[in-house]
Amino acid sequence: MKKLIKISLLAAVFGLAWLINGQTATAAGAEETFKFYCAQCHGLEGKGKGPNVTKDFPVTPRDFTNAKEMSKLSDNYIRGIIMDGGPSQSKSPLMPPWSKTILDVDVNGLIKHLRGLCKCKGKAG
Amino acid sequence: MRFILTTFAAIGLLGFVVGTVHADAGAGKAAFAAKKCTGCHYTDGPAKERNIADQLAKKGPELWYAGSKFQAAWLKGWLQDPKPIRHLAYNSLTKKNAGDHPKLSAGDAANVADFLMRKTTSEVKAGVIKPKKSLKGKKIFTKKMPCTGCHQSASKKGKVTGGFSGPTLVGVGKRLNPDWIYAYLKNPTHFKPFKAMPTFAGILKDKDLKKVAKHVSNLK
Repeated sequence: MKKLIKISLLAAVFGLAWLINGQTATAAGAEETFKFYCAQCHGLEGKGKGPNVTKDFPVTPRDFTNAKEMSKLSDNYIRGIIMDGGPSQSKSPLMPPWSKTILDVDVNGLIKHLRGLCKCKGKAG
Repeated sequence: MRFILTTFAAIGLLGFVVGTVHADAGAGKAAFAAKKCTGCHYTDGPAKERNIADQLAKKGPELWYAGSKFQAAWLKGWLQDPKPIRHLAYNSLTKKNAGDHPKLSAGDAANVADFLMRKTTSEVKAGVIKPKKSLKGKKIFTKKMPCTGCHQSASKKGKVTGGFSGPTLVGVGKRLNPDWIYAYLKNPTHFKPFKAMPTFAGILKDKDLKKVAKHVSNLK
């Protein structure tokens, strides 16, 4: 019986450690993904002021910290824009399609990261 | 008798030429190490990056396929007068490129170029892309999938516009091997498993990737 309790305790500790580690890795991964792919146009802080946004850049990349605008967008809409590019949602082709570059699971993390930047929830749909 | 002498002379000349080429490449390898190029560039493929962090840890671009990527004359010249190819420092979105890449002497540049031009990959097939005007390629490049969002390029009148996160495409026609441009568009992760540029293969048709490669390789 004592042996069983010890094994259960060990399993619980390892399980908890794995869970915490996994969550941390996912959160860090989302920020890393954002900074690597998105920040070149949207900026490291997500305010739409990345280094590609010169005076010749014909559109204004979305400011992800703008809660009022971001709350109008559903997570599905954001997913569509990321995966299939701006024209898939009648937006600029300067937002390219990332479906062959970023994994589905990383897009989930990205959307959570964007919601963290705007500190807002999206509309349903 | 004359035939025998001619044969010996030919063998001797061939030996001299081969020996000279090997000596240059060997000297180039030695110069590459002596000038500490290995501190920022790796030359043994295949690609080593396993995640974004690996890519970001690099101080300079990988050169294990340099011979497939660059044009020899350009490389030799650039090593002697290394003008920035990127507006921003490598792997940075905030720091401007200081333009402080070490310069090599003409001799070292020739040897290092010789060494690097031997670093090739079979992924790049020769003779597929000929630099040529391509209206469809230009349309994709400027409008459909605007490469100009991240890369600078020059108009016919010489006006330079475009984003800063990617390497400049001004003068790219002299810098890059046209066949490498297509190979990179077709299978980018062979060269760079983690890159900030989107993969367009599978989104654009293969014939359109070729047209984009034609257009890009024709840019001045």
